Amino acid sequence: MSVQKTLPEAGRGWQRGGAQAMRRRLVERLVSMLCNIATVIVLFVLFSILWTLVTRGAAGLSLNTFLHSTGAPGSGGGLANAIAGSCEQTGLAALIGTPVGMMTGIYLSEFGQDGRVVQLVRFVSDMLLSVPSILVGLFIYLIVVEPAGHFSGMAGTLSLAVLFIPIVVRTTEDMLRLVPRAMREAAYALGAPGWRVILGVCLRAARGGIMTGILLALARISGETAPLLFTSLGNLNWSTSLGAPMASLPVTIYQYAGSAYDDWVQMAWTGALLITVAVLATNILARWWLTRNGSAQ
Amino acid sequence: MNKIIMDNSMGQNTAVPALAIRDLDFWYGENHALKSISLDFPTRQVTGMIGPSGCGKSTLLRCLNRMYDLYPGQRATGEVVFDGRNILAPGLDVNVLRSRIGMVFQKPTPFPMSIYDNIAFGVRLHERLPRADMDQRVESVLRRVALWPEVKDRLNASAAALSGGQQQRLCIARTIATRPEIILLDEPTSALDPISTARIEELLDELKQEFSIAIVTHNLQQAARCADRVAFFYMGELVEVDTADRMFTAPHAKRTQDYITGRFG
Repeated sequence: MSVQKTLPEAGRGWQRGGAQAMRRRLVERLVSMLCNIATVIVLFVLFSILWTLVTRGAAGLSLNTFLHSTGAPGSGGGLANAIAGSCEQTGLAALIGTPVGMMTGIYLSEFGQDGRVVQLVRFVSDMLLSVPSILVGLFIYLIVVEPAGHFSGMAGTLSLAVLFIPIVVRTTEDMLRLVPRAMREAAYALGAPGWRVILGVCLRAARGGIMTGILLALARISGETAPLLFTSLGNLNWSTSLGAPMASLPVTIYQYAGSAYDDWVQMAWTGALLITVAVLATNILARWWLTRNGSAQ
Repeated sequence: MNKIIMDNSMGQNTAVPALAIRDLDFWYGENHALKSISLDFPTRQVTGMIGPSGCGKSTLLRCLNRMYDLYPGQRATGEVVFDGRNILAPGLDVNVLRSRIGMVFQKPTPFPMSIYDNIAFGVRLHERLPRADMDQRVESVLRRVALWPEVKDRLNASAAALSGGQQQRLCIARTIATRPEIILLDEPTSALDPISTARIEELLDELKQEFSIAIVTHNLQQAARCADRVAFFYMGELVEVDTADRMFTAPHAKRTQDYITGRFG
């Protein structure tokens, strides 16, 4: 059999649909164009924020920023106390919130059997997830600051932890629920007691997602200002004591940005740049982690 | 081949069965899924369980290692006697039971860890082995399922990277690594390609020299090829049990006949 020399020209079958097909193609082009425009707008906003922050913030960035604490206007102070305070409070909040949040998430997903208690815990946790953060600050103010009689880093840490926990609860529960039932049963079928199935198999399968949740929660609380205003208050001097008022980047930005002194306003820009870069880095880390471990099952 | 098989020649129940079911009833809540089942699983033989979807054959398998315990609302009455004890009785250590009666599932379920740890996970639950002994255990079971040549250079690689057939053989290796006496297989090849299926079937033939095997299958040819005895289930009842030969050539019950000739199912 030899190969045919002349192949048929485009047949009439391709005209199927007529005007309707034409309209479909047009609509498709229009919709994808709208999507592209929306994307460009979002990216434009994001990059213009970044650009403003970098251009304004970088001007005040120097070694001084990291070595000196905040000082009086014109004294050439830095942000060392605010950076240290932010790191300490968010870090400790994560240390408290991660085990509490994960254990609650494990409880909801593994031990719940959809009873009354579980539904209540899940409801409360989801409510906390969307509660305005300023209310959390007021709450900690009432139960910690007022009885103690003074603002403290500990109170700030606790208020951040309250914001941190529900995010971890939700991601842990969701990720554990994604673990296939067959995998659990396979572990039980080997004679594993429940806790080893959960710790050894389910958590391992869900670790990528849970880790992402923790990093996103960290990013979220590192930018929180409102809950800190009533709890750790802020501190002009270097202090790492949890018993005393503690500085933090968001609160310092809040105070400096509204001030009348040019160098304070400059410092606020620099602080904003630092937070944004840190949050961005955390988010990118979380994404990277998810793509690497997301398919760990 | 060897005398073990000769001793258990077809259809004779003179020896004590590896497992004996007596008057077993099972409920999913209100749904009476198994009705008064009595069945023996002869030692070191393959017992195949066939029947249309929803007939209770998988449910029966899940009674034998108390898998139903995981779900409230599921309960069984009657007796399943294994090594002199009724395993349905309360107070029985189900973890010990499950190490003695292993199970392989329909879909390969590798754990999210290395190939080595997939096997070591189960062993560590029941035994404390020095590293060298564990290495040896891992190697021997992987050889047993003919996976060793394919994975020996990547024992620390993730088990998820294996093909479906390899994963299922890993799951079988994982199951025999805890040294069970009985292996339950719930449609172990229905998610696999024909070549992988053939390899698993060969493996079953080899494994029955050491283990008593109960296999649920949708595939009648598979039951005919692999099983020494075949039990036919229909609507939660055990209709008929006989040697594979007789079951597929001269079944007694009309329903069995209809099923194996493809008239329903």
